[in-house]
Amino acid sequence: MIRTTGLSKSFVDPKRGVIEAVADVSVECRAGEVLGLLGPNGAGKTTLLRMVSTLLTPSAGTATVAGWDIRSAPSEVRARIGYLTGAAAPYDKLTPREMLAYFGALNGMSQPAVRTRTDELVERLDMASFADRRCERLSTGQRQRVNIARAVVHDPPVLLLDEPTAGLDVLAARTVMGFIRDGRSSGRAVLFSTHIMSEVETICDRVAVIHKGRVAAVGTTEELRGRTGRTAFEQVFLSLIGEEGPA
Amino acid sequence: MKRLNAAVHAPRCAMVVFIKEIREIFRDKRTVFGVVISPLLLTPGLLALTGSFLNGEIKRARTEVLQVGIVQPAGAEGTARALKATPNVRWTPVTAAEAERRVRERTLAAALVLPDRADALLVGDRSVPVRVVYDSGSDKSNGAFMRLRLAVEAAGQAVARLRLQQKGLTPDFAAPFSVVDGALKTGGGPGARMVAVLLPYMLALACFSSGVHAANDSVAGEKERGTLETLLASPATRSELVAGKFAAVTCVCLIGALLSIAGLLVPFFSGLKAFEWLVKGGLSVTPLTIVVVLVMQAPLAVLFSGLLLTLSTFARNQKEAQTYLGPLMMLILVPSMMSMFQGAEAPKSMALVPVLNASLIIKQALMQSYDIAFIGLALAASIAYAAAAMLVCARLFGRETVLLRT
Repeated sequence: MIRTTGLSKSFVDPKRGVIEAVADVSVECRAGEVLGLLGPNGAGKTTLLRMVSTLLTPSAGTATVAGWDIRSAPSEVRARIGYLTGAAAPYDKLTPREMLAYFGALNGMSQPAVRTRTDELVERLDMASFADRRCERLSTGQRQRVNIARAVVHDPPVLLLDEPTAGLDVLAARTVMGFIRDGRSSGRAVLFSTHIMSEVETICDRVAVIHKGRVAAVGTTEELRGRTGRTAFEQVFLSLIGEEGPA
Repeated sequence: MKRLNAAVHAPRCAMVVFIKEIREIFRDKRTVFGVVISPLLLTPGLLALTGSFLNGEIKRARTEVLQVGIVQPAGAEGTARALKATPNVRWTPVTAAEAERRVRERTLAAALVLPDRADALLVGDRSVPVRVVYDSGSDKSNGAFMRLRLAVEAAGQAVARLRLQQKGLTPDFAAPFSVVDGALKTGGGPGARMVAVLLPYMLALACFSSGVHAANDSVAGEKERGTLETLLASPATRSELVAGKFAAVTCVCLIGALLSIAGLLVPFFSGLKAFEWLVKGGLSVTPLTIVVVLVMQAPLAVLFSGLLLTLSTFARNQKEAQTYLGPLMMLILVPSMMSMFQGAEAPKSMALVPVLNASLIIKQALMQSYDIAFIGLALAASIAYAAAAMLVCARLFGRETVLLRT
C-alpha cells in the first residue's frame, strides 16, 4: 500500500551547508499493517512522512501510495491518506462538525456524504456531547478525538501518523492507540512515527529504525531482538543505532 | 474526464476555503471589533467628541472673562472708556513696564497700551495707534489678542461712522467695494472638503488594518497551531488554498473600507448637533462619486491582501508576522497621509505611486473634479501592483521551505 524507493531529502543550511535529512530510504507498509518509524528526535521521521504525504518534494527516489506516485500524482496521493500529527490542533473557531464538513469538502465529498460520515464518526469516537461546541472550548482529549475524526473523514486507505501521542495524557494517548488498532483492523496501511519504545512494542507489526536519515534496520520487534541479542527494546534500539553504552 | 473533474474541483476547493476563512474571521471578536464596530460606532463617536470639544473651546474663547491690563496715560480717558465697554473683559490699570512683565508671567492675558493724548488725536480726526501686548506662545493670550483686536476695530468703525456722519457722508463712502459670496455647491461645503481630506486617508488605513488580523491568522496562525500541515495534506492544491485565503482577506479589507465610508457618512445624515461643525454646508455625493470610490477600493484591497498574506506566509508565527507589520504599516501610512496635503489636481507622476494614487482619485471624486487621464493611469498602476502582490504571495505559498518552517 505504501512503498518508498530510495527516498531522499537534503536541505541547504546557510551555516551548516547541505544536510541530508533522509537518505535512500526504502520501506514498505502493507494493507492492514502498522509500520512503526522509530528514531530519536531529528532522525528524519517527520521529513519522511512529509515526503510520503507530498508536503515535501524528494531530492531523490520516490514513493507510491495506494498505487499512486507521489511525484506524478500528488493530489491522488493526498486523497488517499489520513494525516495526523501530534502538533496539529483543530480550528478553534469551528465546531467539530464544521471541521469535518470542511475537510470532507476539501476531499471532494458531497454534503450528504459528509453528514452521514460525520454522524458515524461522532458516534464511534463518542463526540456527541461536544460535536456542536467550538473547538476552543474542548479539552485536550476531546480535541485529539476531533483530530482523529478529521484525519479519517474521507475514509482513506492509508494513515500517516507523525508522533500522534506527543503531549497527550494517558487517556488521550489511549484513544489514539485505539484509533491505530481500528485502522489496522479495517485494512488500512498505517505508517506511524514515534520515539516511544512502549508504543512500538504494543502496536507495531513491524518497525523501521531510522537514524541520521537512514534505515538502520527493519523487522518485527522479535526479529530485531533476535538480531541484537537484547531483550529490553530500548537496548535493542540503542544497539541498532550504534549508541549502545555499557549494559 | 479526469481533467474536467479537476477543473470543477479547483474553484470548489477555493470556495470551501473561502467560506471557512470568512466564518472563522467573523467569529473572532478582535476582527468584529476592528472591522465592524470600530468604523460604525467608534469613528462617528470620535467625530462627535471632536465636535463637542471644538464647540466648547469656541464658546469658551468667546465668553471667558479675560484679565486684561490697560496702560492709560493722561489725555486718554475718553478712548479708554470706549474700549472698556468690551464685554467679558476685566480691566486692570498697569504701567507700560508692568504690562509686559505681567503678560510674560501670564497673570494678564494681554494688555492695551494707549498713547499720550489719544483723545486729542481722535478729536482731530487722526488715527490712534493702540498697541496690544500679548504672548504669542500662549493660546489664551492669542485668543485675548483676537478679541481685543476685534473690539478696537469695532470701536474704530463706530468713530469712523460718526466722522462720516458729521461730514454728511454715508458709510458707503469709505467702502467703495463689497464682496458677495458666490460659492457654488458642486463640491459640497466645508464638511465635504473635510471629508475629502480625511476619507482617502481613513479608507486606506481601514482597508489595510481590517485585513491585518485575518491575514496573520490565515497562514502564520495556521503554522503556529499546526493546522497548515494538515490542510496541505488534503487533496486541495496550494493554488486553491491560497486563492481561498486571498479572497477571504480581500473581502475583509473591502468590508472594512466600506463600513469606514458608512461610519464617516453617519454625521451627514444623522442630524445630530454634535456633528454640526462637520456637516455645515452639506455633502454633495453623486452616484458617480460612489462608483469611483468603490472601484478604487478593489485594487487597493487586493494589494493589501497580497502584501499581508505574503508577510503572513513568510513569518514563522503570528508574533513574527506582527514584527514585520510595523515597517509595512509605515509604507502604507506615508503615501496615504501624503494625500491629506496634496490637492486633488495632482501631477500625473503621482498616479504611479501606490496607495497615494487611489487616495487622490477618491479625493477627486469627492471634490467632483475628475482627471480622466490620471484616473486611467492610476487604475492601471493599481491593478498592476495588486496583480504583482497576488503573484508574489502565490509563489511564496508554493515554497515548501517557507511554508513548513516553524
